[in-house]
This record gives sequence, structure tokens and C-alpha cells, in this order.
Amino acid sequence: MSLGFLLKRLSSLVVTALIVSVIVFGITQLLPANAATMILGEYATEDALATLNARLGLDQPAWVQYWHWFSGVLHGDFGISLRTGQAVGPTILSAFGNSAILALFALLLVSLVSIPLGVLAAAKRGRPADMGVSLLSYLGVSLPEFVLATLLLAWLASPAIGLFPASGYVPFSEDWLRALHHIALPVLTLTIVLTAHVSRMVRSEMVDTLESDFVRAARLRGLSRKRVLYRHALPNSLLPAITVIALDIGYLIGGVIVVEEVFSFPGVGRQLILAIQNRDLPMLQAGALLMAVTYAVANLLADLAYGVLDKRIQFE
Amino acid sequence: MNGSTVSRRQFLLGSAALGVGTFGLSSLPAFAASAGGTLRIGLNITPNKLNPMLTRLNSEYMIAEMLYSGLTTLGHDMTAQPDLATEWTSNEDATEWRFTLRENVVFSNGEKLTSADVVASFNKLLDPETSAPGRRNLGPISGVTADGDHAVVITTESPFGDLPVGLTYPTAKVLPAALIEADFAGFDQTPVGSGPFRLASFKPDQVAVLERNPDYFIAGEPYLDGVEVRTFPDASSAAAALLAGEIDLLNEIQPTDYQRVADAPGIDGLLTPSGRFLDIVMDNSRAPFNDKRVREALSLSLDREAIVELVAEGFGKPGNDSPVNSAYRYYDDAPLKSFDPDKARALLAEAGYPDGLKLELVASVKPGYRSSLAVVIREMARASGFDISVKTMDHPTYLDQVWKKGQFYVGFYNMQPTEGTIFNLLFTSGASWNETKWNNESFDALISEADRTTDTARRTELYAEAQRLMREDVPAIVPCFFDLLGAKAEYVEGYVQHPRGANYALHTVSLSDSAPTRK
Amino acid sequence: MNGFRRTLSALVRTPQGAIGLLLCLLLLALTLFGPELAPRDPEKFHFTARFAAPSAEFPLGTDWYGRDLLSRVLAGSRSTILLALLATFIGTVAGAAIGIVSGFLGGRADEIMMRLNDALMAIPSLLFALLILSVLGSSSINAVVAIGIAFTPGMARIARSVTLQAREFDYVSAAKARGEGTAWIILAELLPNVISPVIVEATIRVAFAVMTLATLSFLGLGAQPPSPEWGLMIAEGRDHMFRSPWPILVPGVAIALVAISFNLLGDGLRDALNPQASS
Repeated sequence: MSLGFLLKRLSSLVVTALIVSVIVFGITQLLPANAATMILGEYATEDALATLNARLGLDQPAWVQYWHWFSGVLHGDFGISLRTGQAVGPTILSAFGNSAILALFALLLVSLVSIPLGVLAAAKRGRPADMGVSLLSYLGVSLPEFVLATLLLAWLASPAIGLFPASGYVPFSEDWLRALHHIALPVLTLTIVLTAHVSRMVRSEMVDTLESDFVRAARLRGLSRKRVLYRHALPNSLLPAITVIALDIGYLIGGVIVVEEVFSFPGVGRQLILAIQNRDLPMLQAGALLMAVTYAVANLLADLAYGVLDKRIQFE
Repeated sequence: MNGSTVSRRQFLLGSAALGVGTFGLSSLPAFAASAGGTLRIGLNITPNKLNPMLTRLNSEYMIAEMLYSGLTTLGHDMTAQPDLATEWTSNEDATEWRFTLRENVVFSNGEKLTSADVVASFNKLLDPETSAPGRRNLGPISGVTADGDHAVVITTESPFGDLPVGLTYPTAKVLPAALIEADFAGFDQTPVGSGPFRLASFKPDQVAVLERNPDYFIAGEPYLDGVEVRTFPDASSAAAALLAGEIDLLNEIQPTDYQRVADAPGIDGLLTPSGRFLDIVMDNSRAPFNDKRVREALSLSLDREAIVELVAEGFGKPGNDSPVNSAYRYYDDAPLKSFDPDKARALLAEAGYPDGLKLELVASVKPGYRSSLAVVIREMARASGFDISVKTMDHPTYLDQVWKKGQFYVGFYNMQPTEGTIFNLLFTSGASWNETKWNNESFDALISEADRTTDTARRTELYAEAQRLMREDVPAIVPCFFDLLGAKAEYVEGYVQHPRGANYALHTVSLSDSAPTRK
Repeated sequence: MNGFRRTLSALVRTPQGAIGLLLCLLLLALTLFGPELAPRDPEKFHFTARFAAPSAEFPLGTDWYGRDLLSRVLAGSRSTILLALLATFIGTVAGAAIGIVSGFLGGRADEIMMRLNDALMAIPSLLFALLILSVLGSSSINAVVAIGIAFTPGMARIARSVTLQAREFDYVSAAKARGEGTAWIILAELLPNVISPVIVEATIRVAFAVMTLATLSFLGLGAQPPSPEWGLMIAEGRDHMFRSPWPILVPGVAIALVAISFNLLGDGLRDALNPQASS
């Protein structure tokens, strides 16, 4: 992978982030509520509203406001939350950390479970094991996160069973055991849905690989079926699997929003929903931008990983 | 519907009512003497504003009450109790009041609290520029002056017997005069007050940590070393945290969760009848609700007992289209309005809608039972010819676009300390939030006379007449009052729910020896 | 027509395709007749039968107001399925139009359009739909529009890449050489070649639209109570889930069934239209 490629991908990331920031800002500007009304509440006088509007720069043209916001973001200043009156930056970053914990645990479990499942299904193509995996993955991709999450909650956190807490969050720094206990159900939900997705993809990649010329050639050379599967086919399907997982991060982000809402988990998704419900524009802008950039970065990393692994395989 | 549930409820109601009677604010349970420990309270509404004059939410009132003091505070029987003022007297016609202040009060910045601070605080509070909620709820105050270092004189434009109670409004707190002058905005970040606790740290949306104020003006109080106020995203997760032992006290539980939480081992349910109500606001100045027959028809379409069961899960009382119920002093008891779809249909036809009436009822999604009520009303009123569609919306949009402006929506209000407050807040022509635009002159005259009257018997008559007028003319439909529902761990002692829902008196709470020890 | 029959017979030969087609036809029937099949008034309260478990009287139980869950799910099928189809249709038409035009024009215009498109795709679709809805306000129709818009960029990408391939075909060059107009080339030459991958993608998207629509209602941004929209039923049932699981279980299973049906049909169609992938 050349430096040029890296630079090109990085610059396109920056362009994407810029366009996303304009879109996000544009959309939030259309929201039907005035920030000053939000802050001062129902008791405010007209004069007080006008003063605050001027102080917040809300009486200026949209592009001036955008520039103001954007230059703030560049300095790490995301503005003041209209709902809490506190700086948006630290709030959204700590929420982001919480969401990242959910997402990373889910990704780890998904990688551990879905790749073997996909390989198994491909290797036993057409046989009961394959059918079983297919059936489960159809179920998984057809169950929206909120349904699965709610059902898990109603079952495993019910007073009768009480295996897991119904909601909430304990920081790992406070008590890691209870922290794990609290993230178990959200992570389980995300893992099930994502595993269904990824194992289907891994299976179909693996099937393609098993039918590719070089695998056939290896079989013709008299190599054992197992050896062909693990030494030749598997490494070659891992690459697409990584891409699939990376592409599914967009899906995962959507899942995180929903799961955080169901389990009242204090992450970015929850902040975003709260921001939408409360017309908290600065928080909404920061949260949406952060999610979009995360998605773009994940795609970039997947590309880079693909490049690196691809080279290594070619060298072998 | 279910016999055992009902009897259990009645039992709870009985014991709660007894609680209100026995423990006033001044008579503390003797066992509460053991000091120390940290109480963890769960909230489901994030406290946003730290500035005590700008608070609007119960969660903010709670924190402000711990950090600041007012002249008076509200007792469980809705009478004024001493806070900074130890005693008060008025002239004959209740237009001039003298409040005597405690002499041992210091702010958390070390300065002594004097009458100058009280005067400056009230001037700031009453200044329209401050946009303080409650500015118009205190009473018709025309002036506040110092009378020496430790007394203030408050004059009112008209006689106002309820002034000491009016001053219990949660935003009427006393702040240091020097800081009001120099840096009023600073109160958003750094509280300086004379309350029983001091703020140690504050993370919005997460936790506020308060520690005991060693210089508090009541010797020996507060009993606790500290209070942690934790914010949960919604009522059910707060309830889950109480069940998991992560918090000790919860002052707000959804009716749907209450029974399950109260039945859990180690937990006491708290249930207090209250004047908190949901109402159906109708714009009386515009068609179709400018026709009394339409309002009456809707009122007759509702099975109020069933509404209490469906919307409040039975934890409440049916209402009679007046915001005053038995939790208030001057409640005028009357038989419950009848459920009569046939008569409703006839009235609707008489009003010019023989083929029914199509309406859109707006409900904010917060709290959840607003939209439940809307759905229930839609279904019940179908029988008498109303075709009501429900529109729910998020709370800020509701406040911005519908509240006080809409012609048909679900309102939700806390109990107020006096009949005068609730009427002047919502139903008189000059009401702060005159959402019904009823503008009934005889009602206005009754309320204004009651405000000016100090004679209890006369006030009883006036308020009874006002309630009768509301029942008959139906400016709004008040179908359901809610009990305040909460819960606490068994080891939390001395906490009595306040029916007003905005007072907490946490300085009188303690933890028993059986409380789990924590670092 | 011949092509259609060929596709159909290829479709029913795959197990997913056959099952998917069957289920989707059943769902179509449900959409058309579901509300009429409902044994009871889906909004009627039964005070004496709140939180009832399934019985002869209420085959799938009742909810917290004593409303018959079977009737509610049936009544909700029409709006849930039709609206999902509509949302997919909006996204497909808009995306295909953008993709085909962009691919056909090529060069600078293509570059700019696709750069913008990629930026939109960088917003996860649920997030995008949430942002659009926060502007439009909550209602079923707005949710449909939001999902349609959120689907557009992905659809545009697919349509464009197919168009780029088709553009190189001889008959397109021939049409250009004949001096045919741009609109004619797009409609008569490109569209028929682009349409089948777009349809496969659209079928799979229907399942996604059903799920997203329900998710938006669940988050309070779609259908309004007391509508028997399935996502909303689950959202409302959450308050009562520890008293009775039926009000969330019934619509949950319904959503999963619809999504499975369209996923199966989509996979079957893909295999039928793209024989290499299936063999």
C-alpha cells in the first residue's frame, strides 16, 4: 500500500466529514424550535429572548452560524447543551466511550462466533448444519434490535428470572464485574443480530472461495479437504469477512442507538435520542457528526486492513 | 376489579394519610437520631438549572431545596412553616407582613445572611427580566424592605392572607445580595446558599453529590453526611436501580411499576394522595368549545372510575372537572359526575353536531400517562359521537407549539400549595397560564375575593362556589387525580412524601443501623 | 413476459424463493383482507379482560386496555406492510433515477453526485432517518418519507454501478451513434438492463423497511397511538411487559415473520436472476 493511497483515502475521509457536517448542520437548522425559547423556558419575556438570541448568534445568517459552529468544532468546542447547560464536548465524549465499550464487546463476540459459523455452514453446504445456521441467521437478520432487546429484557430481567439488571450502567472503573453484568444484555442483543448478518456473508464468501480455481487446483494436487479448507480457503475468506464486519459498523451504530434506548444505557445513541426529543441542537449536531465520522473511519480502517492483509497473503 | 388489590390500596391510603397527620415538619420521629451515611436518591428527570431562581422541574427543586433556604417552607398540611423566618405577623387587612429572620444563618461562602440579602433576592426574583418561574405565584407583592438586620417587611397591592404560603414557592430562595449584583449567572455553576447541604460535584445527567453543611442553622441537622442524587433516563430504569440496591430512595414511580416495586423484599412503597392531575384543556374562546354543551357532552362521555384504573392503574382518584380535590383545604365535596353517553350524544346534537364531532387531541409524551389518557378518552368518547384522533409529540415541541396555544390538549399539573395558587395559575382571566381562555367574570370575582379574605368560613364558601362553577361550566375536564408514588429501602427513615410533590425535607432523613455500609 | 415466467420458475425452484414467494403472497392477502378478518374491533377496550393470556375468546390474548391482540395485529398489517412497500418504492425510484443519470452522464457530474452520495451513505441509515424525522415531526407518513430518503443513496450506488457496465454495451453506443436523445437512451436502453439488480435489492430492502419503520415507531417518531402499528404496540407494551409478555410478543413475532418472508424472497430472486451465484 502506497503513501499516495493512504493520503487519498484520508483526504476523502476529510471531504466526507465536511459534507456530513454541512448536512447535519443544515438539517438541525430546519428544526422547528428556537434555542432561546428552549433555554429560557415558558416564563421568558420577549426582550429576554431577543437578548439571548443575539448572544447565541441566532440572529445571524445560517452560513455565519455554520462557520461559528465549525470553527468551534475544529478547536474541540462543540458548544453548550441547551438541555443541561453544560459543555457538549465532554458529555458526548464520555457517552462515546460507553457506546464504544458496547460496540467493541459486540464486535469481538461477533468475530469469534460468526466466522466459525460461516465456515462451518460453507463446509457442510446443503447438510443439516448448514440449514441450521441458515435458519438461525434468517431469524437473526429479520428480528429488529428493539424487538429482540425488549424480548430479552422481558424474559431475562423479569422479576421471576432476574438474571440481569433491566437497565442502567456501572463504569468499569467502579466495579468491573457489575459493569459486565450491566452490559451483558445490550451486548447480547447486538451480537445476535450482527452474527446473523456476518455469518451469512462469511458463508457466501467461503462458498465462492471453495469454488475458486486455486482451491480446485489445490484439491487436484491431492491436498486433504481439511487442509484446503483451513490453509487455503479460510485465509482468503477472512478478508471479505473483515470488510463485511467493517461495513456492518453502520448497521451496528443503528443497533447501538436502539439498544441504548431500550436498556437506558448512557451512550451516544441515548444522548442523540434525548437531543432529538429535547431539541438540543448542539448535542444533536455533535452526536450525529461523531457517529458519521466513526463510520467513515471504520470503513477507512477496513480498507487499510484489507490492503495490509492482502499484501501479506500475496507474499506467502 | 380485583378485590385484593383494592383492599391493599385502601390500606396504603389509610396509612399514608395517617403519616401526614402525625409527622409535621417540626415533630420528627425520635428514632431518627442516628447520624451519618450517604443517601442515594434516584431521579428520572435531569436537573438542568442550578440557579435556584430559575428552576422549573421537581428534580431541580430537590437540589435547590438542599442548597438554599427561603423565608418559609411548606408543611405536609399545606401550611407555611419556618425556614429562614422564624415568625411572621401581618396588619389587620393582610397587606403588610413582617417576617423575623434567624440570626445564626451563614452562606456557604462564609458571609452572614441578613435582611439585605432577602430584599435583594426578592427584588431579583420579582424583576421580569430575570424570567423567574413563580414570579407571579408568590402573591401581589408591591415592595420588600429591610427592618433592621434581621427582619423584612413585605407589602402587597391588595390584601393577601396566603402570603406566607405563597412564599414557599420553590424558586423563592434567598441568595447573597453581593453575588446577585456581581455575578448572577455564576449561580448556574457555583451555588452559594444557606441550605442544609453543599454541592460537592455535579455531573448533569449523571449525579449530583452533596455533603452536609456543618454550619446549617438548625443544630444537629442534617442527619446525613451526604446525599447523592443520581439521574436515570426514565422512571422504569430508576425503579430497576432501586430493586438492584443501587439507590435508596425514589420519589417518582410510574403507576405501572409501583406494585411490583412496593412488593419487593426490603422495600417500602410510598403512596400519598395528592392534587396532581391530568386535564383535557379546551379553548373556550373558539368553536366548538365556546359552546358549553360541547364541553358538557365530552364531560358526560367519560367513565372516570375506569380512567383512574386504566391511566393511573388505580393509584389515584376520579376528578370532577375542578383542579381541587380532597388533598386541599377548601375542597367542596360533590357526587362524582355521571357517565352518560346518551345524554352526551343528545347535547352534542343540540349543539349542532348530530353526526358527531371530529377533533384532534394533542398529548406530549412526557409523562407517559398523558398519551394514555388521550387514547382512553378517544375510545370512551366514541360512544357519544366524538371522533377524536390522538397526536403525540415530544415535550419541547409541545411546549413551543401547543401549550397555552392549542385548542384541545392534555395538560398535567402538580398540586399547588393553595386553592388560590392553582386557580390563579390556570383558570382566572388573569391567570399566568390562562390556557382555557374561559374568562368567567363571576369566577374571577370569587377567587379575587377569596385571595383578599382572611376569614376561613367565608373563604370556604367562596372556594366552594368557585368549584361548583367549574363543575357546571366545565372550562376544562379534570378526570383523574394521581397519588404520588415512590419507594424507599426499609432502612431509610424519616422520609415522608409531600403531597405537593416539590418539597423533600431531606435534612430530616436518616439511615438506620441496618443500612448497608459503603465506602 | 417470457422473461418474467422464466424468472418465476427459477425462483420457485430455490427453496428460499418458493417459501418466500408463498409467504409474501400470504402477506399480500393479509394486507388486503387483514383488517376485515379481525374478529373484533381492534380499539375496543374490554375492562374485564385486561392482560388476558391467549384463550378461545382472545386467540392471542389482550393488552393492558383489554384490546384483542389478534385483531390489532391483523388491523396493523395493512399499514405496516403497505407503508414499508411505499418507503422502499420511494427509495428505489429516487435512487435508481439518481444512479442511472449519474452513471450515464459520467465525468465531472458523476464525480460530484457520487461524492455527495457517499457522504450521505456515511450517515448510518437509522441515524439519517432520525435526523429527517426530527425536522418533519413524528407521523407514519413522515417516517415513510424519511426511510425512502435514507434508502436513496445506497440504491443510487447500485444503480450507478450497473449503469456503468451497461453503458459500455454495443447497443447503447449504437443508440448514441443513431443520435437518440438522452432520455430515450436512459429509458429504452439502460433501464431494462439496470432494473433486475435494482428489484432484487429493493425486495431485500422491504424487509429492512419493515424493521426500520417499526423501529422508528418504537422510538416514538412514527405512528401515533392508538394505531395498531406493530412497532408502536411494542413500545407501549414495554410499560407493562412484566405483567404480561403477550402485548410485546405478538407484534414482535409479526414483524419477524414479515421480514423473514421478504428476506427469503429477495434471496430467491437474487439466485434466480443471477444463476452463477446460486449454482
